Amino acid sequence: MMLKPQQMSRVIITGPKNLQEQVVKELHSLKILHIADHSRNEMADIGTPLESADRLSQALVKIRSLMSALGIKKNGNGLEHRKGLPEIEMASRKLSEQLNTNLDESKKIDDKVSKLNAAAQELEILKSLNLPPEALDSYKSLASFTGYVRDKTSVESIRAELIRITDKFMLLSGDVSGKTFIGLFADEKEKHNALDILSKKGFSAFNFSNAQGMKGGAVANIQKTETEIKKLQKAKLDINEGVERLRETYKGFLLSADSYLEEQLEKAEAPLKFAATSSSFLIKGWIPENQLKASIDRLNMAARNKIYVHFEPAKKNDKVPVKLKNPKMVEPFEFFMGLYSMPSYRELDPTFFIFLSFPIFFGMMLGDVGYGVLSLMLFWAIKKKMPSAKSLLNVLMISSFISVLFGFFFGEFFGYEFMHPVISREHDMFSLMYLAIGFGIVHVNLGLIIGMVNEWKSHGMMHAVYAKLSWIILEIGVALLALPYLKIITLSPLIGAIFLGLSILMLLKGEGVKGVIELPSIFTNILSYARLMAIGLSSVILAVIINDSARDFFHEGGFLIIAGVLILIVGHGINIMLGLLGSFLHSLRLHYVEFFSKFFQGGAKRYQPFGLKE
Amino acid sequence: MAVELSTGLIALASGLAIGASAIAAAWAEKEIGVAAVGAMAEKEELFGKGLILTVIPETIVIFGLVVAILILNLAKG
Repeated sequence: MMLKPQQMSRVIITGPKNLQEQVVKELHSLKILHIADHSRNEMADIGTPLESADRLSQALVKIRSLMSALGIKKNGNGLEHRKGLPEIEMASRKLSEQLNTNLDESKKIDDKVSKLNAAAQELEILKSLNLPPEALDSYKSLASFTGYVRDKTSVESIRAELIRITDKFMLLSGDVSGKTFIGLFADEKEKHNALDILSKKGFSAFNFSNAQGMKGGAVANIQKTETEIKKLQKAKLDINEGVERLRETYKGFLLSADSYLEEQLEKAEAPLKFAATSSSFLIKGWIPENQLKASIDRLNMAARNKIYVHFEPAKKNDKVPVKLKNPKMVEPFEFFMGLYSMPSYRELDPTFFIFLSFPIFFGMMLGDVGYGVLSLMLFWAIKKKMPSAKSLLNVLMISSFISVLFGFFFGEFFGYEFMHPVISREHDMFSLMYLAIGFGIVHVNLGLIIGMVNEWKSHGMMHAVYAKLSWIILEIGVALLALPYLKIITLSPLIGAIFLGLSILMLLKGEGVKGVIELPSIFTNILSYARLMAIGLSSVILAVIINDSARDFFHEGGFLIIAGVLILIVGHGINIMLGLLGSFLHSLRLHYVEFFSKFFQGGAKRYQPFGLKE
Repeated sequence: MAVELSTGLIALASGLAIGASAIAAAWAEKEIGVAAVGAMAEKEELFGKGLILTVIPETIVIFGLVVAILILNLAKG
């Protein structure tokens, strides 16, 4: 039955340790057992990974680092790898050698280029001083100083002060990007005095370590370094091309090796979830009941009947992993349970109810033939491009189809009333509001009834009556009070009051004071369904405004017709986007907040069999 | 065109009903939205839940709209 999740059996597999690897292999290919992790206790420790785990994880790390060095991203559709671990290790070693030589080479070139750039800068300075690089070699009887001083005037005052000490000196100066640069050659004996004079003028020394030792003039050397840099840059481009070639050649290999190693590693590390003694292992887990017999037979065959498999139905307080079971039409709506929380094993699976009401709410809010058809086509196109989001897009396509039906009900085509509507959203908003709140009453009470069934199953009939039926009696009580007041029926208010009082007493017993405090929530919840009208109303009014302003442009004629067409396209485009987002979110919210709060507990783990990839 | 004072007041009242509730809804959504974006920065899978939580206070403005429509109905009657 679709309202209940798949029946599960608790399974315990025990065996001697030398069979562990075969059992893990068989389980991995069966893709049927949801392993319940063992936590360490006095009876048994957790198992140790298979021997191959170390080597596998090392290889995986290597593959991943190569992938990141080459800028390859996982794209999900991993290719099948047919070779084994040794081949992967060998190929990745070869690749990493090639890649490393390339990267080393490229780093060396970078170093050289940065050195040459520094030298070129130094040569520019020498050029401004009119000095060849050779002049910087060290001398026996001459001390040489090169560096920046404060400004141009300091050059002359330095010269004046030097003359007072010695006449054996040569002072050169030049302009280097706005700053004054000097070169001073003086008698070795006056070295300290000269330095004193210089430091008074804010001298900061500059070292020509890169340009030193070059032969010939500064200008010729600048040209030489420039051609050298160009050559190196070209060599670097070649290396980059080589890396790109490696990337293209090895991309397939790396991706397939990555998924292969991941799978092998999952197997090798599985014993970490098992209980183990020194010579045996024990696996606890869950298998769907209908596949139990066949899988046990296959396990026994793989282990040549030397293991023991125990199975039993789930007990009351077991944390059973949940696998939802729904007909194909309803299945896409399981997406919403994944987004919220899986229903627990023993409560009703609400997917079917979402299937019933979600498209109706969505359709009522979008409710336009044009918008519905357009979004149907849009989602169909996206589904072709993105098969991974299939379930969500199926939901949206069903919902868009219902929108078209509501479009005929409201008689709307892109906001234009093309036929006589059953209810006009634009002009008859009151009928629409009553309809929306009517949907609310039905939906909230459906939630209460589901809650009753859940309570009945878990806590017995009386608790179900006190906790859930009381809400329904409360609604009846309020209705019986309100209808005579509005003069729709004649009835003594006493009867309504009795219902009301009774329901409050029942609530007090069923849910305690908390339930009584939350009394108004049921009415705010029902009133919240007015959004079914409100969202639709805002959407249709926006559409009418777009149509009206476009019509004004069409009446003007001429070039303004183009402007009118643009307004129609852009306006309705935006309105569709807003409408889709609003309809989707609000329909979902009505389920999560108003509907689920009446019965849903959730919190179960999703059934994830060992070996099955997401 | 001459509009009676009472009609004007009714229009004003319904405008206030939706305007004030819209401010309240926006304020509440801002608080939730900030927290949701913060949570998403830590864990991107929370986008779905964050989006749903963010639109929860929209009920406030819908109540405002319902009240505004009820007030406008006074003008007819």
